[in-house]
Amino acid sequence: MERTHLSPFTNNQTTSKGQSIQTYTDTGGGETCPDDDKWASRLLRECAQALSEKDSGKINHLLWMLNELSSPYGDCHQKLAYYFLQALFCKATESGQRCYKTLVSVADKSHCFDSARKLILKFQEVSPWTTFGHVASNGAILEAFDGETKLHIIDISNTLCTQWPTLLEALATRSDETPSLKLTVVVTASLVSSVMKEITQRMDKFARLMGVPFEIKVINGSNRPLGDLTKEELGVHEDEVIAVNCIGALKRVEVEERGDVIRLFSSLKPRVVTIVEEEADFTSSRGDFVKCFEDCLRYYTLYFEMLEESFTPTSNERLMLERECSRSIIRVISCDDKENIGSGDCERREKGNQWCERLKEIFAPVGFSDDVVDDVKALLRRYRSGWSLVHDQTNSNKDSGIYLAWKEEPVVWASAWKP
Amino acid sequence: MTTDLDNSSAVNESTVSGEASISSPGNQTAGPSEKPAKRKRNLAGMPDPDAEVIALSPTTLMATNRFVCEICSKGFQRDQNLQLHRRGHNLPWKLKQRTSKEIRKRVYVCPEPSCVHHDPSRALGDLTGIKKHFCRKHGEKKWKCDQCSKKYAVQSDYKAHLKICGTREYKCDCGTLFSRRDSFITHRAFCDALAVETAKSQPEDESPKKDQQPKPQSVESTPQSTSTASPPPPPPPTITTTATIAPPVTSSVLCIVKSPDLPEISNSNQDSRPVLDNSPPVMAAVTGSCTVSCTSTNTGSTSSSVFASLFASSKILQPPPQQQQQQQQQQPQIQQQTIGFKDLIRSMNVNQSTQPPDLTLPSSSQEPISLCLSTNQGSSIFRTAGPELRQYAPPPQPTMSATALLQKAAQMGASASGASLLRGYGLDGGRLDDGDGGGATIGLGLGVGYDGRSGLEELMMGNPSVYGPKHTTLDFLGLGMAAGGGTTNGLSALMTSIGGSLDVTRAVSSFGRGGGGGSEFGGKDMGKQ
Repeated sequence: MERTHLSPFTNNQTTSKGQSIQTYTDTGGGETCPDDDKWASRLLRECAQALSEKDSGKINHLLWMLNELSSPYGDCHQKLAYYFLQALFCKATESGQRCYKTLVSVADKSHCFDSARKLILKFQEVSPWTTFGHVASNGAILEAFDGETKLHIIDISNTLCTQWPTLLEALATRSDETPSLKLTVVVTASLVSSVMKEITQRMDKFARLMGVPFEIKVINGSNRPLGDLTKEELGVHEDEVIAVNCIGALKRVEVEERGDVIRLFSSLKPRVVTIVEEEADFTSSRGDFVKCFEDCLRYYTLYFEMLEESFTPTSNERLMLERECSRSIIRVISCDDKENIGSGDCERREKGNQWCERLKEIFAPVGFSDDVVDDVKALLRRYRSGWSLVHDQTNSNKDSGIYLAWKEEPVVWASAWKP
Repeated sequence: MTTDLDNSSAVNESTVSGEASISSPGNQTAGPSEKPAKRKRNLAGMPDPDAEVIALSPTTLMATNRFVCEICSKGFQRDQNLQLHRRGHNLPWKLKQRTSKEIRKRVYVCPEPSCVHHDPSRALGDLTGIKKHFCRKHGEKKWKCDQCSKKYAVQSDYKAHLKICGTREYKCDCGTLFSRRDSFITHRAFCDALAVETAKSQPEDESPKKDQQPKPQSVESTPQSTSTASPPPPPPPTITTTATIAPPVTSSVLCIVKSPDLPEISNSNQDSRPVLDNSPPVMAAVTGSCTVSCTSTNTGSTSSSVFASLFASSKILQPPPQQQQQQQQQQPQIQQQTIGFKDLIRSMNVNQSTQPPDLTLPSSSQEPISLCLSTNQGSSIFRTAGPELRQYAPPPQPTMSATALLQKAAQMGASASGASLLRGYGLDGGRLDDGDGGGATIGLGLGVGYDGRSGLEELMMGNPSVYGPKHTTLDFLGLGMAAGGGTTNGLSALMTSIGGSLDVTRAVSSFGRGGGGGSEFGGKDMGKQ
């Protein structure tokens, strides 16, 4: 595309990469030449190790090396090296919090409806990363709402309502009477809340076009604990059928408060609760820097590879998604958990199994019906190869959700629950 | 004159059809189309009152082939057919005799009590029809397309779908094509085409924002933006077109334009002579429609839209009389708004004597191109809104690359005395300020955020690093040495020194000192490697 002005950078980087790899093998002594693909994660791991051992000489060496090799515009290994280096550097200098705030404010500054819309729609066009959860959740919600006429969805997500047009369309074409839908969106990212006005207007119009009686309300849930939300605030009424839809929202809740939030959901007496989370565990290893770093690196390596295969190399959207990651990476690796109390941007992800443990204390799992599973499969067929739907092999309970897998690695988990 | 009127009505029609296609590109099924268009379709089932009403139970209705041959187990829907079949087995067969009476017409009602077709007055005329209706509306959708997972209750519907599944493309009015229905639906909800459409019926509503990608020229003139919705070649886009575009937008403005003044406009049209001075109502109408067009096609991001509409309105205000004339000459050029406007404005210059003086923008009439550009690049000039313009819009004038912008921003940042770079980045926790005086800082922040290599290098080093990736060596050299010295003082020194000045070399040298001298990772050495 345009942005050809980037190419000099890329060229530079490749040459410097070649040179530096040479340097590395020279100084590396007996070590074998690093696998071309794995150099980034290898250097990064070593660097994290050195950091935990406080081996400053090695730290310097590796940081230096990584800086030589990395680039935010290179291939996905160079990108990984770049963003993880940034996080390691922040860790080493204890400047994670500051750097994070900076990156957030830069992102905030350039964030607007147009860019957010374009980003999210493009991402959904090239990758099922988010649409997977949408289709699964919508399927479960529609089945739970079957035959009901007064519907209320409490949507705790930052997906800009991109999940709802297809649901509205499905409601409009429902064989019985068209129900009314109330949508209460709880936005937990401050970036997203700034564009919600535009979004609600569009949702209103679209619902009118579909002929679905519709009401939408946005609650800004950033900068406050999700567990503090009240029934009144959410506008829950006795005569409504409630669904709670949670997309990537639980991970933003502080680890200690997650139980409270799940109890809050239960107090709303929902017909169904849909939970979608990305499959990564940065929680159980949070006391162990190296382990946590490895988990984080593993997860984002997958993600970056996915982005690389989904987008064109010069895609702006891809760059923005990577920058979003860079903030998360800094959050996980370089920031102290104590520093983010109440700011709603916790990055302590958990895996499907861990969420299941939490959720099972209060809810019972609802398996996705064959129809929904078929819908998801049909969805995945429409993207490039590499995507598949897998069931949890280790969990004996078949109802504990489904996974989106990228190259056989589970990456997103979707599940449905009822009281 | 009559032709003009015809034209205008033709435009209206095409607009309408445009609207219709908007809601009906949904496909095989009811889709998004049916609901909004639910108004008085031909109601199915208005049977002959004398007909015999037959109410079958769901089971009977659904029992396909309830007449089964005892020899080969082949089932038939009707006894008559079975009888004919039995004849093939050489079994005794008997066709029902027609009753002597004239056959009474039969109609069928739907067994579902809540259904409209349950009422005998809405009964359907044939058995197959009621069966399909019952399946479709009240039955299980057991036929599922593997490709798109769409479900059908009637096998023939399903088969028909299979033939076209995947071959169909969904096209949004914005021009984007979709092969997948769900992404089309989602896009529809978010696309500005819908917003604009609805804005027309609800002018009091907000000003929808346009994606930057669709032609920026839609700012300049509404007629074109509508004519893109209706592919057939637009009729001569005279000023009457402008007027007819306004109608959907509503209001009294429209009325003025439409009824009494139309002849006058057409007159002026034919004469190619500005008639503004002797027809004030026309002027009012034109102004009205212009303002409306501005609101309905407001382009760009929030803060720049003010300027955009300023320009748009001023532009449209100036040339109306010429617009007709010019567009008559240059119909195929409609898309080329830049050219069009240059001509418009040129022609306006020619006619300037007849123009009301308050309508002229002197500078713009001198430099028409810059006028157009100022709309396209509104926000880069006024620079309050967003870098997203630079980022997304294929820049109309790629003269200033992102790098160049960044460079400029850096210069501004550097020249702003005492401006802390770190503050510019919001490092002190404060938000970047939109306000006055902060121009340099803002530019800097934005430039880096999007076009520059945001992150470590800029944060730690300041912008110069952007222009020479190699310099990053120095940075991390500095870091390395500082850390190597076993103190964090060096690092904080880095932060401080950079906060205070943009001079990288100075920063680095201060590092050297702080870090206690060059190790084997000396910058020069590494640079040479």
